This record gives sequence, structure tokens and C-alpha cells, in this order.
Amino acid sequence: MIRSLRVRLMLAAALLALLFMLGLLPALQKAFSLALQESIEQRLASDVTTLISAARIERGELQMPAQLPDERFNLPYTGLLGYIFDRQGNLVWRSRATAGENINYQPRYDGRGNEFARIRQDNGEAFFVYDVEVKLLGGKSAAFSIVALQPVREYQHTLDGLREKLYLGFGAALVALLVLLWAGLTWGLRSLRRMSLELDEVEAGARDGLSREHPRELLRLTGSLNRLLYSEREQRQRYRDSLDDLAHSLKTPLAVLQGVSESMGQGSEEREQARVLQAQIERMSQQIDYQLQRASLRKSGLVRHQVLLRPLLDSLCSTLGKVYRDKQVTVIVDVPAQARVPMEQGALLEMLGNLLENAYRLCLASVRISWVDDPGQTLLCIEDDGPGVPVGQRERILKRGERLDRQHPGQGIGLAVVKDIIDSYDARLTLDDSPLGGAALRIAFTHD
Amino acid sequence: MKLLVVEDEALLRHHLYSRLSESGHVVEAVGNAQEALYQAEQYNHDLAVIDLGLPGMSGLDLIRQLRSQGKGFPILILTARGNWQDKVEGLAAGADDYVVKPFQFEELEARLNALLRRSSGFIQSTIEAGPLVLDLNRKQATLDERPLPLTAYEYRILEYLMRHHQQVVAKERLMEQLYADDEERDPNVIEVLVGRLRRKLEGECGFKPIDTVRGLGYLFTERCR
Repeated sequence: MIRSLRVRLMLAAALLALLFMLGLLPALQKAFSLALQESIEQRLASDVTTLISAARIERGELQMPAQLPDERFNLPYTGLLGYIFDRQGNLVWRSRATAGENINYQPRYDGRGNEFARIRQDNGEAFFVYDVEVKLLGGKSAAFSIVALQPVREYQHTLDGLREKLYLGFGAALVALLVLLWAGLTWGLRSLRRMSLELDEVEAGARDGLSREHPRELLRLTGSLNRLLYSEREQRQRYRDSLDDLAHSLKTPLAVLQGVSESMGQGSEEREQARVLQAQIERMSQQIDYQLQRASLRKSGLVRHQVLLRPLLDSLCSTLGKVYRDKQVTVIVDVPAQARVPMEQGALLEMLGNLLENAYRLCLASVRISWVDDPGQTLLCIEDDGPGVPVGQRERILKRGERLDRQHPGQGIGLAVVKDIIDSYDARLTLDDSPLGGAALRIAFTHD
Repeated sequence: MKLLVVEDEALLRHHLYSRLSESGHVVEAVGNAQEALYQAEQYNHDLAVIDLGLPGMSGLDLIRQLRSQGKGFPILILTARGNWQDKVEGLAAGADDYVVKPFQFEELEARLNALLRRSSGFIQSTIEAGPLVLDLNRKQATLDERPLPLTAYEYRILEYLMRHHQQVVAKERLMEQLYADDEERDPNVIEVLVGRLRRKLEGECGFKPIDTVRGLGYLFTERCR
């Protein structure tokens, strides 16, 4: 299937022009050949008239002057041949130009008057023949067929020349037409091209919507697209806001419940109930976190994000550096300044925040963040020099809500959220050993 | 230590107030940013716990405003959403750590104590000054490796003076460590408490780390680490 609109239009136009020309060409040739034949007939008729006016009957015999008024009858190879036959078909006179020609022609003296025809000789040569029956010559009764012939050769030659010129002319016209059409289509399709450029900018986040500077025919479409873009953006924002409200209105009561359960747990009798209550609160809180984060970090359908990685890493490292100040973590950020990640800012921040917090929490003294741009994929790698993850537990740790370090409370769903975000962006998360000694988390973004 | 708690949910605020008071802090608990700003202007706090989701002026704006007013005390934020956007913005605005709701009080307290230690320059959970060792987690003092029996008020004054060692500490500052602002105050109480504390420290070994700077306040002369 041809995917380009321009190529389709060009092909259709070229085909149409070709069909049109193929139909026109024979019609033109036919018309020209008819006109040419008619003019040949008229000329031969006038040549015959010349012969008739020159012929005389003397004593019952046909007399022709030695020199005819039309020089073409007198000179050889002029292509104009004159013959006179009697009623029985015997040749009684032939013009000088017929010398060397041996024409096999039998007139039909059948009383039908004039006849224009085309005859073919045994040697393949064809002639136009104009045959006139006369009954009177110079006022005397006579019966002759007066015949003028002209070879078809010249006619054919003229016709071939014409056909050649027609082909050349039509070919040139077709080429010119296609060039003009290409230019016209380029001009016409430029607005579509501009729209597609604007869409690229929208996808890249450089522009909020499409401009109004499009042809009238497209305004309806761009208007609808803009409304769609705005409503998606607004809906996402509203969605996010309501999720925030929901988080706040669910988790603050949970914090109260947690407090109540802790107060309860101080009496020895209720300690067991308080423990159950706290476990349930913890579970509810994790579920709320997980589901809310999952819901708010979906990939957008319309906008294709490209977020600069360095600024996010810098602000996260400064945040975590503050939180883990006592630990004096050395962070090596081996990421080029222009590195971009194909994710929405919020999702990227959430993913990196969770991964980096794990690294800061589990490392002994150093964390390394590196970036490898391979031809087929981009690899973001976060490593630490902590205890690492045993091979057998790597699969399990990526599962929902799973955590290995029970002694560090508060971040139970971190990796599960990370995994969800990574899946929704068609990236891949792998867990490995780092040369630093701890875990290496690698996120692979496949290039489109 | 004197703490400021800013949380709009009354039950949670009360819970924080009572638990932190039980742990030996003087707590001012308020429900919105305006009250918090007023409190911060009137008193010297050692730490603030601020909920990000406050009605009216948000927790973030409150933190920014406190910092722009030159308040240097550590700030611990409470966040319900628990997302990184909040955490990064909060810490960039000037907070020092975060706790995600719902939290176990022990976790909050641990973070809070770490911030207090850090703000007074002590990374360890003990402060040592010669023969005197203060265990900040257990809120106990030992002198020459023997437990030193102190009342809660005496301990608070000693801890505050040791955290601000080699600085003159005004009586009013010590008052703030002992009482919430709506309680009755009597400046003589400080003199009585410091006198008792001096006698306990002097004990058998003659340790005299607290000097009186006339007209200004008290000075913990021993170097602490």
C-alpha cells in the first residue's frame, strides 16, 4: 500500500493524464490522416482535370500533347503518375513520369463516375488512385478512364512525422504537468506538514496546542485536536488533584488510627489487638499508596515526553543528601547534561526517587548513577555498595509490596511502584550485582 | 526541647502533642500556618513538625516563609501523598526530613531526635562533657559512669545548656524549654532548678560546668562532643 498522500495523488494524476493522452492520440491521428487523404484526393482530382483538359479526340483516336501543363507529369520520379485506359481497360496513354514504373491497375469502367482508392502493388508499394470515367472529350463522344496515381509513401511519411511530434509533445506535456502537480501538491500539503511539525512540538511538550494558522479546511480538525489536548490535560490535572485529596483524606485518618492504636498498645491487655490494628493500618496505607501512585502515573496517550535527567537527579540527590546527611554518601553522577528520558516528569521523579532512596538507605558510603546510550537502547543504572540482593530473591523483590528489609519501615511499596511505572513506559528493569559491591538496578529504554 | 507542631487534623495534632510531651518536649501544637507564624515569631523553637496539606496557606509556603524570616530550626514535614514531588519541594523549600502518613510514633521520634542532634552539631545520640555523658535517646545522664538521678525539668535544662555549650543562654530561653506559652511562668524556678542541677553535678567529684553570666543568663563552660 502506498502511504504517502502526495505519491498517491501524483500517481492518480499521472495515470489520468496518460489515459487521456492515449485516447486523444489515435483520434488526432485519425483526424489528421482523414484531412490529409482529402487533400490528396483533391489534388489528384485536379491533376486528372489537367489531363482531361489536355486530351483531345482526333479521328476517333486519343491525342495527348507531348508536354503537359503540369510539369510533374513530364518529369520522372515526381511521384505523380498519369494513365489513360480505354473502355476495355487497355492502356492508351501514360505520362512521362511513369517511365520505369510498372503499375498493375485495372480500371473498372462501370459508369459510377469518379473513384478514389488505395491500391497495393505486388512489390508492396501502395498508391492513391483517382479514376475518372469520361464519356465526352472536347465535345466528342469517347469512353476512357483517366487515372492519376500518387504513392502512399509520402503520405505515410508525413503521418509518421506527425505521430512522432505528437508523442514528443504529449510526453513533454506529461512531464511538465507532473512537475507542476508536484509543486502544487507541495504547496497544498505544506499546511499538513506544518500541522505535523506543530504536533511534534506538542508531543515534545514545547507547545500546549496547535495554532490557528492553518487553512480553513483543517481548522475544524485542529480545533477538535486542541479541545482534546486541553481536556486530556485538564482531566489529568483534575484526576491528580482528586487523587491528592483522596490520599490526604484517607491517610490522615489512618495516621490518627495509628496514633490511637499506639496509645491502646501501652496497656498490656490490648497489646495484641493494637498489634493487629497496626498491621491492618500498615496494609491499608500501602494499598492506598500503591493504587494511588499507579493511577496517577499512567502514561499519557497524546504527549510523548522527553525529560532532561540531570536536573531531576540533582534535586533528588540534594533532597536525599539532606535526609541522609549523617551517612555522608558519596554520589557519582555519570550522566551527560543533555540526557533525556522518554517519561513524564512526575513518573520519572517517582521512579528515580524510590530507586535512589533504596540506594541511599542500603549503601555503605557510595552510590553511582550512570547512563549508557547504545544504538538500540538507553541504559540508566543505579548502583550502590550495600549488601546487594541475593540471586534467589531478585524476582520476588520486584513483586507488588514485596520487601526484604523489614528493619527499614516506611517504603514498602517503592520497588513495586517503580516496576509499574517502568512497565507502563515499555522499559525493562533488571536487578544485578554491581562492581561497587551492592545491587545494580538497570532500566533499559528501547529506542522507537 | 521546644517543638512546634503544625497539623490541621485535631485528633492527630492532639496525639502528636501528647506523645511528644510524654517524651519530654515542650510542644506548641497549632492547626494552621498563621498561628504557626505567630508562634515562631514569639518563641524560639528547636524544631518544627509541619504537615504539608494545611488549609489556607500550604505547608510549603509556611516553610518558605519561616526560612525567609531567618528561622533556622530543623523542620520535619508530614506528607499524606508520600510522593517525591512533595518531598523534593519540601526539602528544597527548607525542610530537613520527611515522614509519610500514617507513621509509627517511634519512627517520627527517631527522625526528630536525629534532626535535633544534628542541629546542635551532635551526630551521636550521646553528648559527652568530661565525666558527664548525656544519653539523648534514653534521656538519662551519667557522671563518672554512674547514673545521675535528674528530674525531667533538670534534664531538659542540662540538655539545652549542653547543646548550646560555650554560649550564653538567657533565662527566657530556658523558660521556653520548660513551659508552653499559655502556662504560668515564674523566673525564680529557673534559678532554683539550676541551683539543684549544680549541686548534683558537683556531687563528689567537684564538676562545675555551669557559670552564671550576670544579667544575661547561664554558660556551660565545658566543651561537649
